[in-house]
Amino acid sequence: MHDSGEASDAQLVTAIARYSEAALAEVYRRHGGAVFGLAKRVLSNATEAEDVTQEIFLRLWNQPDRFDASRGSLRSYLLAQSHARSVDSVRSLSSRRRRENSDVDRTATAAYDLQHEVWDLSLADQVASAMNELPKEERQVIELAYFEGYTYVEVAQLLRQPEGTVKSRIRNGMRRMRAALVEAGVQGVDAS
Amino acid sequence: MIHEEISELLATYALDAVVSAECADIEAHLERCPRCRGELDAYRDVAAALGNSAAPLPEGLWLSIVSRLPDSNEEPSPMPRLFHDAVNGTDAARPRQRHLSSRARFGVVGSILGAAAAAAAAAALLAFGLLNAGHTPAPVQAAPAAPASGVVAALETPGHKVINLGNGSARAVAQFVLAGGRGYLVSSKLPALGRSETYQLWGVVNGQPISLGLLGQSPSGSVFTLAGSAASSQLRITVEPSGGSVVPSGALVASGLV
Repeated sequence: MHDSGEASDAQLVTAIARYSEAALAEVYRRHGGAVFGLAKRVLSNATEAEDVTQEIFLRLWNQPDRFDASRGSLRSYLLAQSHARSVDSVRSLSSRRRRENSDVDRTATAAYDLQHEVWDLSLADQVASAMNELPKEERQVIELAYFEGYTYVEVAQLLRQPEGTVKSRIRNGMRRMRAALVEAGVQGVDAS
Repeated sequence: MIHEEISELLATYALDAVVSAECADIEAHLERCPRCRGELDAYRDVAAALGNSAAPLPEGLWLSIVSRLPDSNEEPSPMPRLFHDAVNGTDAARPRQRHLSSRARFGVVGSILGAAAAAAAAAALLAFGLLNAGHTPAPVQAAPAAPASGVVAALETPGHKVINLGNGSARAVAQFVLAGGRGYLVSSKLPALGRSETYQLWGVVNGQPISLGLLGQSPSGSVFTLAGSAASSQLRITVEPSGGSVVPSGALVASGLV
């Protein structure tokens, strides 16, 4: 007999497809903090990050079939959704006003999952270590693109580099990161 | 765009950093190119790792999500059956149904709000005074549960350490947080033992294992003192007789460098 805490992510999504709110709650418990954390990092705004988090979980509820377990972990899928939605939001904000209206220091306390938080911290250490090993030029373009929400064309303009150079640095950096994470035993970000 | 051009853009696409005019070409190509799909999945794993961070969830966010789910008048199915069925596929043909009442929803909310507390409620204070190898380890005491805030405070303590204990086949079968002279077992994937055995935690100081306490037959959250053993270079977990051992005598099931 399985309960929600023991079910795999794929089993939880199957249950969500049958309208199990408990399954959605368990997915939220496992991955909500990461979804919210990434949105807040990109948006620099907790209120907007809450909106994105809501949207991601409502989308999972309404379209659970869009998650394909054969293509990666549920955590990766949800983070990709969170990032894409956050970047859309950033790009829609006039003059990137989020930078002036940052409220990243807002305190928020609620139910979050210690086990997954510890796992996340452990993974974050390994990712930070892998990032630090990258050549500065590669690290810089990846950070601007991923965390600041710039397109590679905008990154090229910011750094006054050819667009082709930026694309190559992103690709080389991502390959190096992947190799470093695989070597460290991190394959995907499935904390379940 | 041709295959090579798309391939060059996949890492950028995984970061959501291509310009919108290129998205349609990339997505159309991905539909028909399994090689590029595989490459993109690999990049997306890296992107997800980059974006994976711990953030406390705002209070009320889950309530807000639940309040936007479609309502229903049907009674909820009990959770265990749902998951049992999901695993065994016994109701695979059942159509998707709306079935949770508002009352049930708040029951779920309650379970979420209690998650952090539950993690701590499972905690048992390990016996102290186990640091001298000449003493017989005391059994686990039924002690007050450690507050979740203790683990949270440990995670916020500058210089805290997160230790993953692994074995030959798994990178992390148990996770500990060490801070301020105390240690917290936060999660464990160790299988349950029989009544005649117990898991025992050891700190390795100057090459010598020193007992830090008994973790019981089915470890979950626990808190233990590191006093006198702060210089442990390694944590180990062994299987010992139920009363514990003075020195490790059973199988080493997990270890990790501090």
